[in-house]
Amino acid sequence: MSSSTTRRVVSVCVFLVAVVAIHLLTIWAAPRLIMQILMNGSRSQALNMRNNAAFSAPVTAASRDVVMPSPDMLYSMCVFDLSQGPVRVTANPQLKSYWSIALYAANSDNFFVINDKQAGDAQVDLWLSAADANSSTVPAGSKLVRSPSTQGFLLMRVLTGNYQTEKSVVEPARRTLRCAAG
Amino acid sequence: MLRRITRAVLWTIAALVLGIGSAWWAVKKMPGGGESIRVGAWQANTRAGSADADMYTRAGIAVNALLALGRAETMYFVATTDDAGNPLRSRCTYRVGGAPPKARWWSITAYADDMFLFDAPNHHYSLNGTTANLDANGNFAFTTGAVEQAATYWLPTPGDRGVVLTLRLYNPERSLQTAPASLQAPSILAIGGCQS
Repeated sequence: MSSSTTRRVVSVCVFLVAVVAIHLLTIWAAPRLIMQILMNGSRSQALNMRNNAAFSAPVTAASRDVVMPSPDMLYSMCVFDLSQGPVRVTANPQLKSYWSIALYAANSDNFFVINDKQAGDAQVDLWLSAADANSSTVPAGSKLVRSPSTQGFLLMRVLTGNYQTEKSVVEPARRTLRCAAG
Repeated sequence: MLRRITRAVLWTIAALVLGIGSAWWAVKKMPGGGESIRVGAWQANTRAGSADADMYTRAGIAVNALLALGRAETMYFVATTDDAGNPLRSRCTYRVGGAPPKARWWSITAYADDMFLFDAPNHHYSLNGTTANLDANGNFAFTTGAVEQAATYWLPTPGDRGVVLTLRLYNPERSLQTAPASLQAPSILAIGGCQS
């Protein structure tokens, strides 16, 4: 094999390795990048969602912030930031229909969820803490939840099969959500 | 020298286009990754929202269904074709029906192929466990398409583009969680032709 042919083969191999590496890096980075935009983008800042509960309008065709919005759910949310310490999440919807509070890590994994059946009549009281933080300061009555990432996203879903007729019940219920630095 | 630099830049651009393009194709065309199951026209990823999801599943969910829940909480089945295997189009009409799924609550929502809701003039975006009227056999049915069909619950899909139907099951029964393929899949039948 001539040296120019060898050079050409090596070049093609380097090119293919680069394509595969870029492909894998894109697959790995996509959920993290999308979550970064969700947590730190303009909408998050406009709603002041960092360690603070925000309540988005009922889902319609105009809702285009997150793909596949459910028209049957009312969404409330918060970006939790544990870099300065734990964050306390409380909620007391007292609804007979479905609701849930889900926590997502910075890589988009859903690492915790609690729903109305699991909560029963008790108020939800979560003490979000970084995975390596000291757990000795958990307030009485709070449940310690370790987050795999320093920053993450909380999404509360409240079922509303018919928002117009249920508005007076579901709106006050979802607005019991609090998300604040501990 | 200049020729060598130009060639290196072109190879780099080609690698970026192929690498990012193939990744995009993988998450858009194979969102189920290697962990998907199929029941009738419906497809589900059994690791959606899970911390043990592989990176293709995680990327696919982030792009197509960000903030999904794990299957103990919610199961998601997606259909992009009718029962005959033909791609769903918004200018065509379909009858969707079957037995209510074994879950505490369920809904079927019609999305455009950009994964957002259609601009439905009647504001009907989904049929769910609350709004569904069951027939004498205990089954639900609705139509979706550009043209309203008489005496049915209608989910409008204006325009001419792809349609994605999403079936959500909230708190599915344990039997369904452990065997998602046991779902009694709602049928999706093309009726009444397509608008030209």
